[in-house]
Amino acid sequence: MTRQPDPAGRCGAEHCVTCADEGVAMRVSSLDAASGLGVCVGEDGRPATVETGLVAGLVAGDTVLVHAGVALVRVAPQEAAA
Amino acid sequence: MRFVDEFRDAELGRALAGEILATVEPGRHYKVMEVCGGHTHSIYKYGVDDLLPANVELVHGPGCPVCVIPMGRVDDGIAIARRPEVIFTCFGDMMRVPGSHGSLLDAKAQGADVRMVYSPLDALRLARENPDREVVFFAIGFETTAPSTALTLKRAKAEGVPNFSCMCSHVTIVPPLRALLESPDLRLDGFIGPGHVSTVVGALPFEFIPRDYGKPVVIAGFEPLDILQAIQMILRQLAEGRCEVENQYRRVVPYEGNPRALAVMAEVFELRPHFEWRGLGFISQSGLRLSQAYADLDAEVRFSVPGVRVADPKACQCGEVLKGVIKPWECKVFGTACTPERPIGTCMVSSEGACAAYYNFGRFAREREVV
Repeated sequence: MTRQPDPAGRCGAEHCVTCADEGVAMRVSSLDAASGLGVCVGEDGRPATVETGLVAGLVAGDTVLVHAGVALVRVAPQEAAA
Repeated sequence: MRFVDEFRDAELGRALAGEILATVEPGRHYKVMEVCGGHTHSIYKYGVDDLLPANVELVHGPGCPVCVIPMGRVDDGIAIARRPEVIFTCFGDMMRVPGSHGSLLDAKAQGADVRMVYSPLDALRLARENPDREVVFFAIGFETTAPSTALTLKRAKAEGVPNFSCMCSHVTIVPPLRALLESPDLRLDGFIGPGHVSTVVGALPFEFIPRDYGKPVVIAGFEPLDILQAIQMILRQLAEGRCEVENQYRRVVPYEGNPRALAVMAEVFELRPHFEWRGLGFISQSGLRLSQAYADLDAEVRFSVPGVRVADPKACQCGEVLKGVIKPWECKVFGTACTPERPIGTCMVSSEGACAAYYNFGRFAREREVV
C-alpha cells in the first residue's frame, strides 16, 4: 500500500512500514549519480535521502516506490498522471 | 491522494463484488491464499472479505517479515545486543518479537543499547557517528527489504566502516510457498501474489505454481480494489479453466522484476542450506546469509551467538495460523493471553500479522453462511 512517509511514525510502536513490506510513493527531487543517492519528497513535502541506484534512467520529477530507504521501482507514468 | 483514492472507490468495489458473485460456481468452496501480510492487513482494514460470497474463503499466508522469525533468532540478537560495546539496531516491529526470555525491547529496558532504525542506511550512519562502538544491524524481511541491506553492506565495505556489521535473517518467498503447496493439510485454489516482493523478483519465480501445482497466481497491489480485482482474476481463471501467473499490479511490478536489485543481492548474499521459519520448521535454501566476500561484515562471525533452536510456546498456534490451517481467532490464547500489547506469538506483533489484523479490526470470531 502506498503511504506517505512520516519521520515521527515511520517505524513506531503501532506500525512499522518497513516490517510491513510497504512501499511509499515519492517524487524524485534531485539525484547525485556519483553517490547513488537522491533526495525524494513525499506527498507531505518532506524530503528524504534515498538510494536511487537500483532504478535505471531516473530523472528529477519521476515518481518512485521507496522501501527501507531504497527506490525499488519507477511508478508507471500513466498511473502517476491519474 | 494519488495512487490511493482511485483504488478505494466504493462504486467500483461494488461492481467488482458483483462480478465475483457472477463468476463463482454455487456449491463450490474456493480457498484463496493471500501470501503477503500487507494484503491480510488491507483485507481486514477495509473489510474486503465482507464483499465476497460466503463460498470464497481467504487464507492468510506466511508473508509477514517479523512473523516468521523464530525465537532462537531473537535470542541470538539479544545476546549480541547485551554486549556493552554494541549498539544493536533493528526495525520497529522486530523490537517487540518475543524471544525465550523477552524481546529486544525488554533487553533495552534492562540496559542494552537497542535502537530502532527506518533503514539500514540509518544504522550505517550510527556506525560512522560512533566509531568507538560496534553497530549491528538486525536485517529481516523478504526480497523487498534485502536490496536495502545489500546496498548498505556494499557502502560499508567501500567506505571501510570497521565497526558496522549485519545479523542477516532475510528470507525468500518461494521456498515457503513450495512447502505450503506440498502440505497435505491445505487445499488451495489460487494465490494472491505478493506485490512489493515482486517489484524485486518479478513474476517469473511464481510460474512454478501454475506449472507444477495447477494453481493460478495473481500478483496484486494493496488497495482494496487491487485485492478485489485480483480475487476476481483468480476466480475467472478457474471458471475458464486457465491457470497462469497474471499481474494485477502492473503500475508497479515489472514482469522481470528489478535486475539491478537482484544483482546486488546475488553479490552480497548467498543461500543458507537451511533456515528455520516460525511455525513452518526448517526449509531448505530459504534464508540468506552474507557471502564469503562480505563475511567480515557478518555479525554472527564477529560475535558468538547461542544459535540454539527454541520451541514456540505450547499455547501459541502461530504455526497453524501461518500455514492457514486455522483462523487467528481459533487459537486458544487469541485476544486473551495474547494481544498486540503483550504478544505471545509473532503473528500478534506486526500489523501485518494475521492475528494482529483480526484483533485490531475487531474480527474476534466470524461465522459465514454458506451459499
